Amino acid sequence: MITNKQIWPWHFLTAFILFMLCAGLWVATEKIDYTWRWNRVPQYFLYHDEGLIPAPFDGRVASLSKIGDKTQIKVVDEDGEVELFEVDSESLQVSENDDLFEGDSLGSASEWRAGPLMVGLWTTLWISAAASIVGMIIGLITGLCRVSKNPTLRSLSVFYIELIRGTPLLVQLFIFYFFLGTVLDISRIMAGISALAIFAGAYVAEIIRAGIQSIPKGQMEAARSLGMNVPQAMIHIILPQAFKRTLPPLAGQFISLIKDSSLVSVIAITDLTKSGREVITSTFATFEIWFVVAFLYLLLTSVLSQVAAWVERRLAVSD
Amino acid sequence: MIKTVDLKKTFVGRGQTVHAVDGISAHIKPSEVVVIIGPSGSGKSTYLRCLNGLETLTSGQITIDGVDLTAKKTDLNLVRREVGMVFQQFNLFPHKTVLQNIVLAQQVVRKRKTCEAEEKARMLLQKVGIAEKEKEYPIRLSGGQQQRVAIARALAMDPKIMLFDEPTSALDPEMVGEVLEVMKQLAREGMTMVVVTHEMGFAREVADRVLFMDQGKLVEEGTPEHFFTAPQEERTKAFLRQVL
Repeated sequence: MITNKQIWPWHFLTAFILFMLCAGLWVATEKIDYTWRWNRVPQYFLYHDEGLIPAPFDGRVASLSKIGDKTQIKVVDEDGEVELFEVDSESLQVSENDDLFEGDSLGSASEWRAGPLMVGLWTTLWISAAASIVGMIIGLITGLCRVSKNPTLRSLSVFYIELIRGTPLLVQLFIFYFFLGTVLDISRIMAGISALAIFAGAYVAEIIRAGIQSIPKGQMEAARSLGMNVPQAMIHIILPQAFKRTLPPLAGQFISLIKDSSLVSVIAITDLTKSGREVITSTFATFEIWFVVAFLYLLLTSVLSQVAAWVERRLAVSD
Repeated sequence: MIKTVDLKKTFVGRGQTVHAVDGISAHIKPSEVVVIIGPSGSGKSTYLRCLNGLETLTSGQITIDGVDLTAKKTDLNLVRREVGMVFQQFNLFPHKTVLQNIVLAQQVVRKRKTCEAEEKARMLLQKVGIAEKEKEYPIRLSGGQQQRVAIARALAMDPKIMLFDEPTSALDPEMVGEVLEVMKQLAREGMTMVVVTHEMGFAREVADRVLFMDQGKLVEEGTPEHFFTAPQEERTKAFLRQVL
């Protein structure tokens, strides 16, 4: 059979189906009379914050100097101590040699600040990153114990894996926060990160074990026959190959971890999901915010899968 | 150089007990080339693997270069550096280039400097006749080339003994010659070699002594002339009728 080279009609069909889906959604929301207020969303990413700057102590304005549209105010107190302030030139309320009393307004300064969605996105990002790194280390160690010859190490790792995989993450989060958090006196962020890391670790361990076991026995034998001990053979021969093979499932696991991190909002960590909920309470833009939150998660996960695909391509040179 | 006394290895699995190696005593002298032949399942590979501790013994004793492998305080890793092994399936490290394959163990085990290890690796690649392939990954090499790299890799550790476990059995027929040629050269240089093989031509030409194994037992041993022209045992005669 000759390969059909004309694939653009199929792309057209795909686009058409997606378009119809969106149109269907739009029609459905039209029916329920929902007013879309997309214009309210951007301010929760970045907003312009204007704040009055008060004089910190009684003193005197020593000098004013203009830098662009900002003005720098040099304030000197009775003991000769100097402090510098920067305000917008338009809002300047003092002139040189003015006497000041504590609390007098010098002017106002405005700056761009990250809104709750940005802060939430950042929290989600670093919580997931920290949990991924710790989870990877836990998973690697447990995975190695799982294939070890020592029965105690093996049983302990099986126990850990079964325990974690057999209980819901939500319940684990509550146990970590309420029980371990109280007993060991750890903060909610630490409780959240450790719960996520230990949860991910169990799955990573199974992936690592499968990876190690998928490497032909001859590789270990060849390494040992050259005089390497087991740790050397693991580090130089088995793990690099296992890592290459397990990269796709590992990437999947860490993508899951980013998504699962949304559950930490139940222990009052202000991650992306919780920020979204907080923004909704003040805007009532329920649909918009949830769509935006979903899109932000999608952004994080697709960056991660692109990175994984890139690493995979780099490692493919020896194929 | 190698001495085994009443070596036994049994595998137990699914209620069955298999005596893979059943009481083999042999003495291999320095610079001697010993070829082990026998039907499949006769335990010759297992015996060879016991010689560098890849299989644990059930009973018996192995002494290599004066070191008792069965003694508890013997560090097998130290023994293995002195005993090179070449496998049927080559077992090159697929994620490393040809040069890295040969350099790695020198650095990790022998603690040689990179330049020294690379120099040695290039010299050995020259010796096995594939100096131009040093930057390739093993997958791009033919079977014969891979096996020659594997030999070079083992030689890089400066072993006193080389073990060959059916080194040509996984090769296309036209590549068998190039690997055997390398092995013959090694034998001429006076390397102590134990070779498990089905290549009767090699056994006849290179071996100082031939061991014939069947069902885990040493059936007959002797010089190639004796073995191929005037075998004593019935089992040996039957085997030789099949393969020659």
